[in-house]
Amino acid sequence: MLTKKVANIGFEAVATVDRRPFGIDALASYPVFPPEFVDFLRRVVPADRHDELVWSVVVLARKPKGTGGVHAG
Amino acid sequence: MAYFTVDQARSIIRDTYAAATADVPAVASGLYAADELAGFPGGAVSLALGVGHPVRHARLSPGEVVLDVGCGAGIDTLLAARAVGPGGRVIGLDMTPAMVERTRRHAAEAGLDNVEVREGLMESLPLADGSVDVVVSNGVLNLSTRKSRALAEMLRVLRAGGRLALADLVVTQALPEEVLRSAPALAG
Repeated sequence: MLTKKVANIGFEAVATVDRRPFGIDALASYPVFPPEFVDFLRRVVPADRHDELVWSVVVLARKPKGTGGVHAG
Repeated sequence: MAYFTVDQARSIIRDTYAAATADVPAVASGLYAADELAGFPGGAVSLALGVGHPVRHARLSPGEVVLDVGCGAGIDTLLAARAVGPGGRVIGLDMTPAMVERTRRHAAEAGLDNVEVREGLMESLPLADGSVDVVVSNGVLNLSTRKSRALAEMLRVLRAGGRLALADLVVTQALPEEVLRSAPALAG
């Protein structure tokens, strides 16, 4: 899971603040996916997953204090 | 299992995003409020390709320095630039030269002179240690074949106490192998 990967890198206060299903219809609205690929997905992915192909998430995290670096501002 | 080499993956992604065109803001209208997009160039809005709204969740403050990893056509870079104001700065980074040029043009058209755009890889960020207050990224980490390396770079460039706001796609159930082997799936 993404939060675990983020925490393992060394971030702290890792939290998922938004999580939504992302289905084939949503994917079809992106111009980087050609229509034939969308049709391909509808054929090879089981119908019960068409509305939850993957999930979109927003993860927040913080770099621990006292880990070096200078204030950027 | 990796179905593409690092170079193959980068080539597919560069070609796909360089060729991307859109006349309608199909993605942006689902992610951003209309008033957030007011005054932004049509190209930045119609080519919004993110999967969430990390800038909103980042709660940016005036004066902060922000890095947008994988800025694409620049919508999140522009939103961040507006939020941090003239006393702040936003660095948009993308590995696709066409997207770098688009973000530069869109920032200029939006009248935002606190934006700097650089070409580079998320796995090797061209910034000094501890040099930014906030890292945002929207639908980009999943494009990397070295995700831990990319996250480690984001950690490195943040100042101590700096914040990460990361929007991305995650798979909770395995996808069919024929999907994983397809180049369009890699590009998304």
